[in-house]
Amino acid sequence: MTRWRARGSGPSSVVALGVVTLVAMTAIGEALASAPVSAAGKQTITFAESGLGSEGAQTQKAITGFEKANPSIKVNILVLSPNSTTYLQQLEQRFIAGDSSPDVMESDVTYPAKFGKAGWVKELDSYKPNLKQFFPTEVAAGQYKGKTYAIPWFDNPEGLFYRTDLIKTPPKTPAEVVSDAQAAMTADPALKEGIAFEGAKYEGAITAFATVEGAFGGKLNPADLNTKGNRAALTWLYDALYVNKIAPQAVTGWMEGNVESEFQAGNAAFAINYPFVESSVAAVAGPAKGHVGYIPFPANPGGTPGSALGGEMLAINAKTTHAAAAYKLIQYLTSSKVETARAIATGDPPSLPAAYTSTLLKAAPYFKQVETLNKYAQPRPVNPNYLQISSDLQTMLSSVFSNLSKPAAALAQAAPLVKADAAGTGSGGG
Amino acid sequence: MASTPATTRLSAIPASSAPAVPAVRRWRTPRGRRRLGGQVLFYLGVLIVLLIALFPFYWILRTSLESNAEFVQGVGGANGLIPSHLTLSSYIDDFTQLHFLTPLLNSAIVAFGTTVVTIVVASLAGYALARLPIRGGGAILTFVLLAGFFPVLAMVGPLFLLYRDLGLLNNIYPLIITYLVYTLPLSTWLLRNFFAQIPKELEEAALVDGASRLQTLRKVVIPVSIPAVFTAGILSFILAWNDFAFALSFLDSPSKFTAPLAIVVFGQSQYETFFNRIDAAVVVITIPIAILVLIAQRRIVSGLTAGSLKG
Amino acid sequence: MSTKSVARRLRLPSIGGPPPIAGVARKADRRLGYALVAPAVLLLLLVTGFPLVYNLWNSFHNVILSNAGAPQNFVGIQNYTELFTTPGFVQALARTLGFMVVSVVLETIAGLALALMLHRAFRGRGMLRAAILIPWAVPTVVSALLWTTMFDPRSGFVDYLLGILHLPGSQTTWLAGEWTAWAAVIVADAWKNVPFIAIILLAGLQLIPGDVYEAARIDGASTWQSFRRMTLPLLRPALMVALVFRTLQAFLVFDIIYIMTGGGPGSTTETLSYLNWQAFLVDTNFGYGGAISISLVVVSLVIAGGIVLVMRPRT
Repeated sequence: MTRWRARGSGPSSVVALGVVTLVAMTAIGEALASAPVSAAGKQTITFAESGLGSEGAQTQKAITGFEKANPSIKVNILVLSPNSTTYLQQLEQRFIAGDSSPDVMESDVTYPAKFGKAGWVKELDSYKPNLKQFFPTEVAAGQYKGKTYAIPWFDNPEGLFYRTDLIKTPPKTPAEVVSDAQAAMTADPALKEGIAFEGAKYEGAITAFATVEGAFGGKLNPADLNTKGNRAALTWLYDALYVNKIAPQAVTGWMEGNVESEFQAGNAAFAINYPFVESSVAAVAGPAKGHVGYIPFPANPGGTPGSALGGEMLAINAKTTHAAAAYKLIQYLTSSKVETARAIATGDPPSLPAAYTSTLLKAAPYFKQVETLNKYAQPRPVNPNYLQISSDLQTMLSSVFSNLSKPAAALAQAAPLVKADAAGTGSGGG
Repeated sequence: MASTPATTRLSAIPASSAPAVPAVRRWRTPRGRRRLGGQVLFYLGVLIVLLIALFPFYWILRTSLESNAEFVQGVGGANGLIPSHLTLSSYIDDFTQLHFLTPLLNSAIVAFGTTVVTIVVASLAGYALARLPIRGGGAILTFVLLAGFFPVLAMVGPLFLLYRDLGLLNNIYPLIITYLVYTLPLSTWLLRNFFAQIPKELEEAALVDGASRLQTLRKVVIPVSIPAVFTAGILSFILAWNDFAFALSFLDSPSKFTAPLAIVVFGQSQYETFFNRIDAAVVVITIPIAILVLIAQRRIVSGLTAGSLKG
Repeated sequence: MSTKSVARRLRLPSIGGPPPIAGVARKADRRLGYALVAPAVLLLLLVTGFPLVYNLWNSFHNVILSNAGAPQNFVGIQNYTELFTTPGFVQALARTLGFMVVSVVLETIAGLALALMLHRAFRGRGMLRAAILIPWAVPTVVSALLWTTMFDPRSGFVDYLLGILHLPGSQTTWLAGEWTAWAAVIVADAWKNVPFIAIILLAGLQLIPGDVYEAARIDGASTWQSFRRMTLPLLRPALMVALVFRTLQAFLVFDIIYIMTGGGPGSTTETLSYLNWQAFLVDTNFGYGGAISISLVVVSLVIAGGIVLVMRPRT
């Protein structure tokens, strides 16, 4: 008996040590992961958003202001992925799981129809929101079958940036964009490309396309995609890469952040991007600083100046038990004062036309141009199956930007798929 | 054939011919010259393999030390094999802005937890399969080994629904159970084979002394099997640390992410498409694995091969 | 020594029962045995058997989670017919099998060369072995991101090297072209997996006794002949193990595709596992996803069975 007992307790002590370490690490992990719990009697709501950097910091600031104005409500911020497709998956996982958290969430303009149809977010008409005060295109994005599911938070028109030191007068036609880019590349050897745009296989490729297509009389209509205008717009982007060679093939890997840094670093004469570039270029010393022009994509005869609507909205989880507090937060975040502060700090344009005051224009003069772009900003399709539509559009754009198919062929191939997606009969979508 | 002198046998295998003759003298004869040429070619091959295996690590280390401005400028000119300015700003950004420590800890908890559970469960099963008179042991062992080949994506959907119904989504602990599909087959097989080789007399002495089977396992079998347990543990840790697909499917808030998932999500975000930052995180998660390999390469090799070849 | 006896040495051991002790103790031991294997078996059934059955059920039903309130009714084989009527699935199947064959063939050849290299005794062998083990041990996420950096046109090494050497293609955006993207994926996959094949084959080489070569030498066989006629046949069991592991892993490739290409450009690098993931977590269509999962399981079984049949030791 003693003989085998004496044989040391090596393994069990290893396991015990392991368990102790595991428990200790768990405790540390939990402490790091979970935020402090609210005091009794008060309510805590969770707000899901995707902001990093200055946007995240500004949201935190606004939340602090809200908590001060409403001492009984505490708001936890849940930061999800800044990639809109990943963000959507993360939200959907929670919805599918039947989670009552987050109570309030940031939502891209393309999601509310899907969320509303699925019954994941609360219908907001009972709160009688004053929808007339917002830009109407974004209000429409928040509605599905006549009911409102999301409130406009900021209204992000994508447009064309150009270097005012290299291009003295802004181009007036798409052809002038090409010739100006070519001239700038010859004049300034520091330029690596004429134009930078989002060409990676993600949602941003669609907004870049949507920015250009209006200028050619095109429209992102899922029922009728293969139009002359859309072909012309897609051909312009294709030619920028492979015929006029003003854009490098590297755009096929670029997202907004890459396009922003290309322009900021003085690598590009033109860039298709969102207004936040104005504030980020101004923040860093570089060749582009102080030489930024921002216009809708210039129109061909028969088109209208091009801009894509890329705004963010706010919605309430259908399962929340704190709906009243959640709506209060939405009202606070969409108030003129808070939206103006956000616009100045981050370049996120207010969703309220009334917020474009002299105060805002004085602090950030470029909002004058943003206001102009907002007039032209085209929404992407409002459809509960937008994710499938988006997936097929991304595949189409990716194959054109990579020169796997020619614009006309790619549109002809994608059009019936997108039409089926929109009608809810697409493959895999249902 | 058994009578073949050991020396002849050695010379027949180029592998074991030690360089007994000094190189200078060797290349005086034509045959020696040819052999020396072969040697040079061989070492050139070794060098190329080393470069292919390790140079990519240097390249990500190099990229991770670039500033954002240099990264945007790209490689070339003064910013070549060595960046023109070295900076740790990507590492600082990863830990301060992206809070990379949290996913690292999550990964450590999950990988360590998986290892502990695997060792306990695999030791019990391995012992039963090696020593106890169960019927259908062969079928059970076959099932355990086959489970390791089950398509990961075919598990994702149903387990997603199961964890959803149990309220276990977005929680790192269910990953430990899930990761057993990576670790249990190999570990059970390894430990079973090791236990089977232990002389029975060792156990029988303890059994005669009145110890129960479980006591014998704990106090006799496991202590002499520490090398195998260690091997199974290291391999389990590596396999659990490396998962991506399950973490991607079951976790949704950054505070719960495992390290590999966190890196990919940083990398896909529209504001963070900077390889210098991504590569800094890649360097950070590679370091523990590299250290583990350097410490335990013999165990890993023997585990991989014993696990798949020998009885 | 004959091929046959070496093969027998390498074959899996038979499961031997313990020596008979006393009858009562034996019965208790048997009960204990079942209790001890139970956790492993039940846990593995939970993560593999349960998904198999659940996928099978789902695949005959309409299970779309984003369709609020829609009944999960029986739809017969509709999800399966959808598989074969959508070009996406059939193309992905062909692509996945193509990737599997090309990557496994290339990796096996490279792995064999590396194993032969490691089989020689030379200064620095330990270092080489450690150096190739690191790529195998790091997460797939690391190999995928590392090669994404290496192939990047701006900050990557590949285009930089081509530029320095004044070779064509120094402006290539690798992940933007169908075949260049596949090349990048295969390089990243091989970098991580060739070491695994090499380690397995090295163990196989080390089990071949030296006198086999001696006999061949006496018969006047050249190095190539003895490799063809002796080494390769004797390596068969090790090759089979490496092939079964690698072929199935390659067939199920997901991580590296998701990270490096996202299925792009276009849909040219979408594999079956990638489609399956999209069906589950993008489309939340667990019926259609279940049908893809079932097809993954079935094709995996066919592949594994095929390899074992072709490679089994001949008598």
